[in-house]
Amino acid sequence: MSRTIATQAASPLAELARSARIVVCCGSGGVGKTSTAAAVGLWAAEAGRRTCVLTIDPARRLAQALGLDLLSNSPKPVTGKGLPAAGPGSLDAMMLDMRRTFDEVIERYARDEEQVDRILANRFYQRLSATLAGTQEYMAMEKLYELHESQRYDLLVVDTPPTRSALDFLDAPDNLNELLDARAFRLLIAPAQRIGRGYLRGLNMATTAMTRMVRRVTGSELLAEVGEFFAAFEGMYDGFKERARLVYDQLKHPSTAFVVVATPDEAALREAAFFAGRLAADRMPLGALVVNRIHQAGRIPEVPEAARRRLAEGGADGRLLADLIELHDGLEALAAAERRRIRALLATVPNLGVVRVPLLADDVHDLPGLRRLGGYLFAEAGPA
Amino acid sequence: MGAMPPLELLDRSRLLVVTGKGGTGKTTVAAALAVAAGLRGRRTLVVEVEGRQGLARLFGRRSLDHQETRVAQRVQGLAVDPEASLRDYLGRYGFAPLARLLTWARLTHFITAAAPGLGDVLLVGKVWEASTRGQHGYDLVVLDAPPTGRVVPFLRAPETVAELARVGPIRHQADQVRELLDDPERTGVVLTCLPEELPVAETLEGVASLRAAGLPVASVVANQVTADRLGGRAGRLTALAKDPAPLLEAARRAGAELDGRGLGVLLAEARDRQRQVARERRLLKELRAGLGDLPLVELPFLAGGVGGPDGVRALAGRLAEVPEEPPAPRSLRAGARA
Repeated sequence: MSRTIATQAASPLAELARSARIVVCCGSGGVGKTSTAAAVGLWAAEAGRRTCVLTIDPARRLAQALGLDLLSNSPKPVTGKGLPAAGPGSLDAMMLDMRRTFDEVIERYARDEEQVDRILANRFYQRLSATLAGTQEYMAMEKLYELHESQRYDLLVVDTPPTRSALDFLDAPDNLNELLDARAFRLLIAPAQRIGRGYLRGLNMATTAMTRMVRRVTGSELLAEVGEFFAAFEGMYDGFKERARLVYDQLKHPSTAFVVVATPDEAALREAAFFAGRLAADRMPLGALVVNRIHQAGRIPEVPEAARRRLAEGGADGRLLADLIELHDGLEALAAAERRRIRALLATVPNLGVVRVPLLADDVHDLPGLRRLGGYLFAEAGPA
Repeated sequence: MGAMPPLELLDRSRLLVVTGKGGTGKTTVAAALAVAAGLRGRRTLVVEVEGRQGLARLFGRRSLDHQETRVAQRVQGLAVDPEASLRDYLGRYGFAPLARLLTWARLTHFITAAAPGLGDVLLVGKVWEASTRGQHGYDLVVLDAPPTGRVVPFLRAPETVAELARVGPIRHQADQVRELLDDPERTGVVLTCLPEELPVAETLEGVASLRAAGLPVASVVANQVTADRLGGRAGRLTALAKDPAPLLEAARRAGAELDGRGLGVLLAEARDRQRQVARERRLLKELRAGLGDLPLVELPFLAGGVGGPDGVRALAGRLAEVPEEPPAPRSLRAGARA
């Protein structure tokens, strides 16, 4: 059974890493998403492409391995043994500083300095902007698009946040519409100036009553801050929306590929199925499924029940052997269950290339580790 | 302090907040803790707040919603949704007409989507409400909270928003929520962890940040620990791999058709597993050292996965220290991990 890994045809990732412009890795937490993204980046760099890995929240040791400074919000070269010193390929990495990216976005779209200051000083913005729905995802895509536009790289590899909402950026154009343009909400904030026309007078009365009640619930300062926050964005919505649309179009472009990363446990595969379904629904280019940490069992001849009983009742050696056989059975059952679960997932997503990576002896936290992982991802070396 | 042995935690606390790095079995442990408390006779509510319907599956149901529903013996389940909480909340404070108006204007969606900080206030508020219903309410509420990285802002959301609202019901409720959350007699935060390098490091960081925020960390649960089936006998594996004669002899006497190659497979797998066991032991030792006097509970790796009620029940039996229903699930005996 372990043979399937060694004998599979060229990895679907190899093609992506050679030709795609953007690779987006998504999947639930703890499945090796960041390591996978970094290994893909390293492989592409070594294959001669100018590559940048953009990560949201890497494990600290991996960050160290990539030479990432927690505060940098722009790509930096990854240094280390064996990286292409000369030649066309290079590897940069950066970690997204959400807050700074958001600030930059504000600076880009604001009318003037005054508007920038007003938004950045708003307490609602300061406290809650970092947790605004989908902000992290949107900011990741924003940065991705900015780097893509700069044309400094042949390939950008990005890993998304480990949440179900990781693909919320696909909704960004619609969400921004709904959130920033919510007229009803703006009516609520400043009903008096905005509603002049007669046919809206009824609504005006309703909103005034509503405002009174909202004020009583929240205390007026909170509402004022929220109101100011949205008012401060006046005039920036169109820029936002336009940008969101551009990002969306780029993600949909055939030169982008999404890679769904999972482990063979039920929860991770369910999340993978969710991501794959979500991408398919939006007609996003789904590149491959990577399943990390797969268990494998070797083959032994069938040992009948009677022989097992005799072993268990025998001496120390017999009991040890009986236990070894039982451990093997457990492992085999586990491996079979994993295969079943992966097959079930693949059945729901037609034509999805899958890359299987066995459970590795050590966590990946340095360049040699990434290269080993790359060996499996790109099927240059299967297990013996 | 807040550190409590698991049984005392199950029997005495009013609110258990379960958090952990993603993928460490947070939802599974929350479900198992709730079932364990039920087994020990407490009326328990287990609450999900992230809308993933993870709890529902563990209890073998399609979904859970804003209605409290029986999911196990003495255990009710609830998936809180910010919009429904907002309507509840407004209703409670006598603003039912506003709630209807908001629904009409489709504003709840907007408000909760625009600022999850506000959504979090409502979710935490609901948990507080369920924990403090008094005599006819629950003995214990178990919260399947957001992952470690988000849990402090989540639990402190009422506080954060209240800073902007000096008076009014929001301020008042924030104070009450804080009182409950900060009280080690009533509340315990449980962190889930895996015996792997990064989760161990992040658990220690998580404990530190929760404590820094003044939240009462009660216990850490290490999930999916590989059982050490071989114990001291593992020391023989290397020698046997070189010379499997004793095992060949045992196989021959028992009439098992195992030759040198088959034994080679078995020994290689056993050694892999033993390396895994040793690695996990080392990591759990590091974890224990880092935790000081904070209790560390270990749960076994279930070969069949914890896909449903049986797995949850098996883990709950461990936590509640009650005998498992016979026959013991096979998965507990044959926990295998290469």
